[in-house]
Amino acid sequence: MSYAGKVLRVNLTTGDNRVEKLNEKWAHDYFGGKGLGIKYLYEELAPGVDPLSPDNKMILMTGPFTGTTVPVSGKLGIITKSPATGTVLDCSIGGHFAGELKFAGYDAVILEGKATNPSYLYIEDGLVEMRSAADLWGRGAQDTEVALRAKLSPEIKVLAIGPAGENLVTMSCITSELYRQAARGGVGAVMGSKNLKAVAVRGSGSISVPDISNFVATVKEIMRTDTLTDTNLWAFTDGTPMLMDLSQNTGILPTRNFQEGTFTAFENLNSDSLKKVRAGKKGCLSCALGCGNYSKTGRAAVEGPEYETLAIGGSNCGIEDLEGIIKFNDLCDNLGIDTISAGNVTAFAMELTEKGVKDFGLRFGDTAGYLQVPELIARRAGIGADLALGVKKLAQQYGGGEFAMHVKGLEFPGYEPRGSWGMGLAYATSDRGACHLRAWPVAEEAYGERDPFTIDGKAQLVMDMQHYNAVKFSLILCDFWALSLETMAQMLSAALGRSINEEDLRQAGERVVNLARQFNVREGFGKGEDILPERIFKETLKTGATAGKLLPREEFDNMLKEYYALRGWDENGRPSAQTLSKLGIV
Amino acid sequence: MVLKLNEELCIGCRLCQLACSAAKEGVFNPELARLKIVSVYDESGLNINSSVCTLCLACVSACPAGAIAYENERLSFRESACTDCGLCLGACPEGIIKARPHGVALCDLCGGTPECVEWCPHNALTNGEVG
Repeated sequence: MSYAGKVLRVNLTTGDNRVEKLNEKWAHDYFGGKGLGIKYLYEELAPGVDPLSPDNKMILMTGPFTGTTVPVSGKLGIITKSPATGTVLDCSIGGHFAGELKFAGYDAVILEGKATNPSYLYIEDGLVEMRSAADLWGRGAQDTEVALRAKLSPEIKVLAIGPAGENLVTMSCITSELYRQAARGGVGAVMGSKNLKAVAVRGSGSISVPDISNFVATVKEIMRTDTLTDTNLWAFTDGTPMLMDLSQNTGILPTRNFQEGTFTAFENLNSDSLKKVRAGKKGCLSCALGCGNYSKTGRAAVEGPEYETLAIGGSNCGIEDLEGIIKFNDLCDNLGIDTISAGNVTAFAMELTEKGVKDFGLRFGDTAGYLQVPELIARRAGIGADLALGVKKLAQQYGGGEFAMHVKGLEFPGYEPRGSWGMGLAYATSDRGACHLRAWPVAEEAYGERDPFTIDGKAQLVMDMQHYNAVKFSLILCDFWALSLETMAQMLSAALGRSINEEDLRQAGERVVNLARQFNVREGFGKGEDILPERIFKETLKTGATAGKLLPREEFDNMLKEYYALRGWDENGRPSAQTLSKLGIV
Repeated sequence: MVLKLNEELCIGCRLCQLACSAAKEGVFNPELARLKIVSVYDESGLNINSSVCTLCLACVSACPAGAIAYENERLSFRESACTDCGLCLGACPEGIIKARPHGVALCDLCGGTPECVEWCPHNALTNGEVG
């Protein structure tokens, strides 16, 4: 089997660590990444734990493909309870950390407790040490990584937080290889709450599979015929900025805090404009696609900006100037802030200001004001003390809840649900709040052939997509490879030396979704939280392909009801005993 | 035939190293690969650091036992002749000859069809004939 077979458990309070055997039963049912991480967390975390207390845990999880030649399998799962939403939270981060951790001999690291002083965790094969981060505390996430590489080894792989994570900002992220993030839900704040500035890992061990000749031959053929194809190579040629034109043309490009679905200056922010500042391409470990676009302008450099940043930090803030967005992205990266949530809270504050609800001194399109925001949020200084609350809590404090664009406290990604009704259901029912990575029906609705303005078939579509992504992220395959469950099963069978079929994987996806739901139910979540902001139900869009459109509340309610029924959940959105039993979740 | 890396095309995925260790050592482990190509961000931006066999033949010259030879346009290694003196390890300017419990591991171009080249997704690494 392609697992390392070991889990490293580190008690940050005492500095002690121990190596445990990987729970084989759980690995059998949940594979790795998202699923296995949530399983460990569900079993180990008591309900009601404060996410920023020492009682919360953070799990770094690899998967059965990590460190092998399976293409696009280089990411790491990070699983914890979210301080932004109070839900379960799984993020993934690209780069080369995950492989290094597995080469060091671990499938996972479970981080518990809270270090007495600012610390970083050093792992070099069997050597595991808590070390002082006194000289790193207060420094940027990127600066921290550069300092650790200089001090330890250029080969070291690092996860680090910036000042935002230290200051427990619930939109803070974790960074690796300077420009890759586990971005959402405040994972960085969980690290910060544990006084953990960074994790540095170096591994020299090997990963085995049952029949490596067969495995390599199988996977090589799949890479050539299924990964390196026109379906996926957009990630290499363009990357996510290619979505800018699609969103503009279909009227789902969030603009000025989701007041509109098109942006006149979209061409400044699209893939063609990005290509003019491209300075290189970079992929994660084993990634044949290499989506990373290294972009450089006079003042700033980033990997990206990705579409989410261009949309939410660009058009949604009314920012027309690409260099300004790159600068915003660069600031957020080093400060350790999620650009999606930061862009949303900035846009929300702009609308609150313009509507006279509360004056934050921010205006749509004012690049200078917008570029002040990341630093203020990270330091909780000036207006940043308020903006660091995130959209949900900011609305609770000052009003504007009807246009506070979040679900369960997680801010919206860059797709307008009034122009893809299934996306509304996807946001409402995602396990971590408004997220585009749990299901992305936009691909078939606004961007595809299905009618975006109907609920017909959307509950089924969202459910199927959630199952697919849940198992894909449990195997830790990147979102950008559109492979079939059959291909996943073929590779997994070769990696584990047992026969796994498409239906096994579909059911594993369903199991993961239900376990995540059960985690949230245990925390008190139900139908009342599976809801969208009033703006989506009451305000029509005014321009482009979505002019005159909204998502009627009654349609949404019907879609949600149908979704619960299809899932075997009760009318309050709780998985029935029968559903849980069928999936082997007890 | 010699390995050639076009840095402009390399994305630093390290599939070449994983494929090399799989083919030669039967496991996945970049440390055991007979080449090393990584892309890193440093002060000057995004850079490729690479070490691949250039067939400079310094190892052949350094080997006092005649265990390393250049034949059929590639390196060959005879374990039976090796005295484990380690001179080749120090002689390799790329630092990619690896010591084993007995003998060394070096790039023999997989007998003419290098696995690293086979796996390179963007033809950054070629065997010099097609590049």
